[in-house]
Amino acid sequence: MLLEVKDLEVTYGRTKAVQGVSFGVERGEVVTVLGANGAGKTSLLRALQGARKPQGGQIIFDGEDMTALSPAARVAKGMALVPEGRQIFVSMTVEENLLMGGYMRRDDGVHGDLAAIYERFPNLGERRHMKATVLSGGEQQMLALGRALISKPRLIMLDEPSLGLSPLFVEKLFDLIRELNSDGISILLVEQNTHMALEVAARGIVLELGREMLSGPAAELAANPSLAEAYLGAA
Amino acid sequence: MLLVQQIVNGLMLGSVYVTVAVAFTLTISILNFLNFTIPTLFMVAGMVSWGLAYFGLPFGLSGPLAWPAALACGAVASILCSLLVERFTFRYMRTRHGDSTEHAIPLVSSLGFLLILENLIRIFYGSDSQRFPGPSSDLTTQIGGIFVRIPQLVSFVIVMVLILGLVWMMKHTRIGRGLRAIAENPDAATILGVEPNKIVPVVFMLTGLLCGLAGALFAVNYGEVSPMMGEDIGSKAIAGMVVGGLGSLWGAVAGGIIVGLVEMLTIHFFGADAVQVAVWGALLVTLLMRPQGLFGHNAIGKGKL
Ligand SMILES: Nc1ncnc2c1ncn2[C@@H]1O[C@H](COP(=O)(O)OP(=O)(O)OP(=O)(O)O)[C@@H](O)[C@H]1O
Ligand SMILES: [Mg+2]
Repeated sequence: MLLEVKDLEVTYGRTKAVQGVSFGVERGEVVTVLGANGAGKTSLLRALQGARKPQGGQIIFDGEDMTALSPAARVAKGMALVPEGRQIFVSMTVEENLLMGGYMRRDDGVHGDLAAIYERFPNLGERRHMKATVLSGGEQQMLALGRALISKPRLIMLDEPSLGLSPLFVEKLFDLIRELNSDGISILLVEQNTHMALEVAARGIVLELGREMLSGPAAELAANPSLAEAYLGAA
Repeated sequence: MLLVQQIVNGLMLGSVYVTVAVAFTLTISILNFLNFTIPTLFMVAGMVSWGLAYFGLPFGLSGPLAWPAALACGAVASILCSLLVERFTFRYMRTRHGDSTEHAIPLVSSLGFLLILENLIRIFYGSDSQRFPGPSSDLTTQIGGIFVRIPQLVSFVIVMVLILGLVWMMKHTRIGRGLRAIAENPDAATILGVEPNKIVPVVFMLTGLLCGLAGALFAVNYGEVSPMMGEDIGSKAIAGMVVGGLGSLWGAVAGGIIVGLVEMLTIHFFGADAVQVAVWGALLVTLLMRPQGLFGHNAIGKGKL
């Protein structure tokens, strides 16, 4: 097991955003976390990356207890979060944004990895010295992903990456997720685009008001009538 | 010719304001608060330099070696003082209240530091101005009929080199990018591994360095230090920063020089009593015509550098 989450609890004052959630991500696996607005998905990911201190529970990554470690230490160990809303640095150039992804790296392979990112996303390469604001929404999402990739993660956590993208870019994004996964990177995918998330993931977990409502193999979840009713609409 | 002479003097004085204005700009853009300890640091550098030079401390040096050593110690004292402020006020407040961007508390605590240090020094040294035994004033060179004091010229060059170095660091180093990331979006920066507790002291260190240098250079060039020397410089540097545009390093440079020029030209045409009116008048006029300042962005405060 690459990531193991045990009884995680996250609260904001009296709001209990995550109440005792447990699950795991195997090496090389794609796991999706589904749930309506306010279900606690973002709170869960932020606690996993260390941006929010959990009130209870345990986070184990690659056999090591991460619960008390800083986000910096977690990045160095190979965890990367692509945050909700992308959170690109708009005052920086495309390349500076990517370099921020390599903030914890001390080796000198960063420049070679930049070149690989530009090869994968030629649009970013062409605009590498321009302010990140010149990018379209889809390109900004690619930049956010590229920024996470530069840290050489073993686990990438994506928070609603398809939000606000055109259908064409959503297709591209999910292709990319498959590609990264076949390169050996494990993926924890938070999505509201339930159909596509269950297609790419091997397993899923559905949160409701901070608790696990359902979990299991993606195909089973896709066929589950109660999930269909709640999230998949009539389709 | 006298007018050109005043312009040269204005540039030299302006370079002191520039240094202090850049220090203010760094803290405002990165940590989102107006650091009132800045005038104190300036004063600490000046007073420590004076104390060491006056008492002939510390190295038994004599003659022309004593005062540069004293100045260096003054600047170091300023850096240490700034780190102390970070450690015991800013960091403490931040962990207590959990928000590194809450600016009212550091503002007030830095104001407290200003008053405490200023008055401590006043208790020990008295509030009189003291003469700083710097280089003799006949170290002058004449360029096209204009007198330029060599120490002032050297100071000007040091200040400009330091600021160019700072701008380069912000743009091209890991620490510089980390600082800009914290300035723009602390949350995203943290997720990527930037640690506020490690990088915020860098801001305070740079602040101490800039103010220490400014205080030391001021002592050399104007030959006088006092426990209140920071107040006037501090307020004029703030004026310069706002004229240049909040949050822009080059704005602080331009604004500091403009204030120095306005001050010297006002003295030339209207006498010293008119200086405050002219400086703050220029500030108000700038704000009326260009509220974001000469080089400022549209949004005020945080998130730009
Ligand atoms: N910073 C915060 N302060 C207070 N309450 C918060 C904060 N962030 C989230 N919450 C609350 O925690 C609960 C879970 O929010 P969270 O953002 O984790 O849900 P989510 O599943 O990511 O929702 P969405 O799909 O809208 O992104 C909600 O009730 C929300 O109001
Ligand atoms: Mg969310």
